[in-house]
Amino acid sequence: MPKLRHIAIAAKDPDKMAEFYMKAFGFKEVRRGDSPLAYGYHLTDGTIDLAILRFKTDQIGKGMDYTGLHHFGVLVADVDAFAKKLEGLGARHYLDESEGRVGGFEVKFHGPEGVLFDVSEHPWTGTAGLDEDEAAVREAAE
Amino acid sequence: MPKLRHIAIAAEDPEAMAEFYKKAFDFQEVGRPNGFLADGVFLSDGTLNMAILKFKTDQLGKGMDYRGLHHFGVLVEDVEEFTKKLDELGAEHYIDNSQHEPQPGNFEKKFYGPERVLFDIAEHAWLGAEPLPAEMKEAAE
Repeated sequence: MPKLRHIAIAAKDPDKMAEFYMKAFGFKEVRRGDSPLAYGYHLTDGTIDLAILRFKTDQIGKGMDYTGLHHFGVLVADVDAFAKKLEGLGARHYLDESEGRVGGFEVKFHGPEGVLFDVSEHPWTGTAGLDEDEAAVREAAE
Repeated sequence: MPKLRHIAIAAEDPEAMAEFYKKAFDFQEVGRPNGFLADGVFLSDGTLNMAILKFKTDQLGKGMDYRGLHHFGVLVEDVEEFTKKLDELGAEHYIDNSQHEPQPGNFEKKFYGPERVLFDIAEHAWLGAEPLPAEMKEAAE
């Protein structure tokens, strides 16, 4: 089964917010970045990536001042297969990660009611992979 | 370490949205919460509880028409201990589930963290969510 492995929060001050969650829950910083899409931090609880980001574009149509939970991400065995499936179910393809970067989102979709989510077939940095049986399925597909 | 175990989405039509995620990712329906704060559908990927909810109050201050990701939840060993810690770090306590009709497998306390981001903590796993790793739990007991 695909796995929820990423939660992203839109923040005005990612440095301060990341510090709060590291102190509060012991989450570890695994990556800090400044990309064309966002500046901020990736924390992990060992299983899930918690991204705390200042976005540079309005991906969710709520304006550049929006702060709060932003999107989530699902780890799947095969991004192309899921892209077809999601489009078949009416999700709108929004954006592909074009730099071949591994450890972040790979494809973004808008699902029902415009809710944004990512799918990736490589785990977000610092997060758990798919279950072993599913990893075997992925290997078999490659 | 505490674990992220819950993510909540504010939906106009939780039924239709839940149906989408069940079909898309095979998430399993594990409950139909009907509480003082929201109605909707609980899904699970085997690790996290994904709540797709129609909220009855404006918890975020973004208006009753807000749709999208709403809050997340962290499973901790001891809610009281984390309540103290969160207060010291400047989080604002918002509400306790026990103040109303406690629903097992749901949030226990809600806090506003930096920039008014809402999150829950609980020491009993959300419906369909994985408990804390056994060794951590045993060490705490």
